[in-house]
Amino acid sequence: MAEALYASSESVLDWIANQGSTRAVIAPRQGDDGAIRYEPLEPGDREAARGVLALAGPSLLPPGKLFSPPGEVLFTWGPAEDGSFRVEPRLDRAPRLLAGVHPCDLRAIHLMDRVQADGNPDPHYLARREATAIVGLACSEPCSERCFCEAMGSLDHHEGADVMLAAVDGRILAHARTPLGVSLLADLAGEPCADPEAAWARHRAARPEPFGRALPGSREALGRATTAAWSDPVWTRHTEACLACGTCNLVCPTCYCFDTRDEIDVAHPGCGERCRDWDGCMLPGFAAVAGGHDFRRDLAARQRHRVNRKFAYLPAAHGDASFCVGCGRCGAQCTANIDIFDIARDLLAGSPDDAPEAEVSA
Amino acid sequence: MTNAAVDPSLYLPRPARIVETFPLTAQERYYKVALGTPLGHRPGQFVMLSLLGIGEAPISISCPPRDDDLLEMVIREAGSLTRAIARLGEGDWIGVRGPFGSGFDLDDFRGQDVIFVAGGLGLAPLRSLIEALLADRGAYGRITILSGSRTPAAELYRDRLAAWSEVEGVEVIRLVDRTEHQPWKGRVGLVTEPIPDLAIDPRRTVAALCGPPVMYKFTALALARKGLRPERIFVDLERRMRCGVGKCGHCQINHVYCCQDGPVFRLSELSGLREAL
Amino acid sequence: MRPRIAFFDFASCEGCQLAILNCEDRLLDLLQLVDIVEFREALSEKGARYDVAFVEGSIHREIDAERLRDIRARSRLLVALGACASTGNVQAAANALSPAENFARVYGEAARNRVQADRRHWPLWAHTRVRPIEEVVEVDHHLRGCPVVPEEFLRFLGHVLAGTRPMERPHAVCTECKAAGVRCVFERGETCMGQVTWAGCRAICTRQGYRCDGCRGLLPDANLAAHRRVLREHGLDDEAIDARYDLFCAAGRQAIEEGPL
Repeated sequence: MAEALYASSESVLDWIANQGSTRAVIAPRQGDDGAIRYEPLEPGDREAARGVLALAGPSLLPPGKLFSPPGEVLFTWGPAEDGSFRVEPRLDRAPRLLAGVHPCDLRAIHLMDRVQADGNPDPHYLARREATAIVGLACSEPCSERCFCEAMGSLDHHEGADVMLAAVDGRILAHARTPLGVSLLADLAGEPCADPEAAWARHRAARPEPFGRALPGSREALGRATTAAWSDPVWTRHTEACLACGTCNLVCPTCYCFDTRDEIDVAHPGCGERCRDWDGCMLPGFAAVAGGHDFRRDLAARQRHRVNRKFAYLPAAHGDASFCVGCGRCGAQCTANIDIFDIARDLLAGSPDDAPEAEVSA
Repeated sequence: MTNAAVDPSLYLPRPARIVETFPLTAQERYYKVALGTPLGHRPGQFVMLSLLGIGEAPISISCPPRDDDLLEMVIREAGSLTRAIARLGEGDWIGVRGPFGSGFDLDDFRGQDVIFVAGGLGLAPLRSLIEALLADRGAYGRITILSGSRTPAAELYRDRLAAWSEVEGVEVIRLVDRTEHQPWKGRVGLVTEPIPDLAIDPRRTVAALCGPPVMYKFTALALARKGLRPERIFVDLERRMRCGVGKCGHCQINHVYCCQDGPVFRLSELSGLREAL
Repeated sequence: MRPRIAFFDFASCEGCQLAILNCEDRLLDLLQLVDIVEFREALSEKGARYDVAFVEGSIHREIDAERLRDIRARSRLLVALGACASTGNVQAAANALSPAENFARVYGEAARNRVQADRRHWPLWAHTRVRPIEEVVEVDHHLRGCPVVPEEFLRFLGHVLAGTRPMERPHAVCTECKAAGVRCVFERGETCMGQVTWAGCRAICTRQGYRCDGCRGLLPDANLAAHRRVLREHGLDDEAIDARYDLFCAAGRQAIEEGPL
């Protein structure tokens, strides 16, 4: 079996659409409102699969949210014979193929795989993730003006994908990255590619340089600058316009905080389900305790925490240079136009000399 | 992808039956629940307590480590869940996950004089350590317990405070912020006030603190003035955990998760955690 | 014992009580668990004390305030049912004008003068300010929205049966747009109140392609200065912005922008 193939776009679409006979295919699709969403594909619907090879983006929500959907049920409960209760975890192991994942989102999935497996592995995330094959698509040009994936080290990220696709020489290179990927490629009509690395080199050479927005420093320098900026006015400057709506958290491919909620059915006393909802550290009350004290009431302190998680805390805890992947979603979807790229740039530039030191209260 | 051993029961509470409950104050009740199997906890750890249909919240473990299947807690009515739990009685069922958190390490206390500083509900988790030390009395030096309450009626574990003060080498100093015309034989003032007058040998003394956020800074300062180094001061921090297993993000203090790395920290560790106090 | 619950209405369209009657499938199960002792839209039985009083409507006259205080005194839990009770709703916009000006705007000068001159109509002028019920009595819980969300009502009752009440998370409607995968109203070239409005409606309006008009009320820490800036950048002038806030949140805007009365 071939590890890498050259195929036409049409063969790739046929191949993706036909996967629907064995597993649900989730692929990007542009809606009537212009937004791109990862949605289930009808088996065999090759026209709807075109989004897999389309380069517009990014999607409204990152594809990795498939593994921790909003409002998911963690477990159900019901009465037990001794008067207590019995609980049943709800694990979703339905086989899926997630297709058309761009490198930034792929890197986010890779980071979330690590977060969810480290320490106490999250069974709900891992059940979905382990049942899902991923076909990635390398980007030939920045998908939006907000993109800064290269600055965040995501542009050439392939790990986590079973098969990577890339446009090379007017054809599509399909490169298997895992044994599962190799078996998936068995169904793709194409001709073997003997030297995939050379093909990748040609793909990379055809890309614009720089790719997306560039930052004036490395990710390592950004991590140090973030830590050093604890008392810097940068946090206040980048929250004056903040509405605390939580959008930056909820559209971020590496935000995964949650809250839980119980749902009961009035008609069936003693039965119900515990669900988890997306939550975010920019939202009011996130760090409040039972008595009402809020350890991060101040918006600037919340912004500092969010940015520290991306550039300092999570990288140190899980071993990576940054947990921001440069997809540009948070800035693009913030109605107040607060962009983590601008914050990163300001952090790397250091605080302006004439700005007074302002201690941000927790 | 990953080959981590996945436990599908990570978020599942196990049934526990309330075997004893009574009010300690107007706001707080004592609970003893039977789990069926031993909890196997260390002092200073916590559990996630569920009332199915209402929700889940972190609750400190108040009993010292024990061989039977019982778990003791003090629960203050402070929110949606605890208000509902306050209505339960003996024989009712709740859900328990845990134990979680680092807790206290008895080795840090062995051979040392120990000062406890408890503010309000903080006495509940500290009891798990106090009684663990008393269970092996010879292994520890002098024990001083400073217990501060808002008013005489708000004092927790009155009987236990009295019983501890009877033990050889244990001094209990009880304080209230104000008496509100209630009978009171202890002192009036903040829980930090007796510290300057304590005879402390800073080379062989450790302290354990638990109380409201505002208490820590003043207590730490008072203990520092007595020459106690920050690595000899242990603080038990309060955060509102939603998962207890380092995933939900709510209890994060700078880069650490209070539910995993805490809730007990050495004061020296907090110098790098600017959001801790 | 089954909790005794009652419904009362003040100035409102009574649509929230209807919205609850519309939970037909679950309402019958519910009736097994509670005693509904007063329900103007459904029953006429009178009860003296209530475990939960659901109050619909805003307060306009002192006699309404007195009646509300009486209900409060007879109720263990008092719940604001819907936008009129919890924010003052659209009728609070009337606070910007005197009752006489308002009357003239609606019925004309001649009618206003006639009514002012005739002492039989003087009770009409007992109207003071339009107030959400929280300005008159302590409120234990808010069921927000115009109309209320039936699921929230049922969830609240579920908690009451367990002896507690649900916590409200002060989150913006944006959180529910994101969870539902709705493209931001602003990106569609329109303007929206979602960033400063209590969530809980599951973004019902924006999911249908409409905008959020803020019927669930302004969040307590809403950054209105920043929100105004966003609305201005999207083409609204200050008058239009005021009109948008005042549609559902006249009373709330006054409280946030002008400080407590």
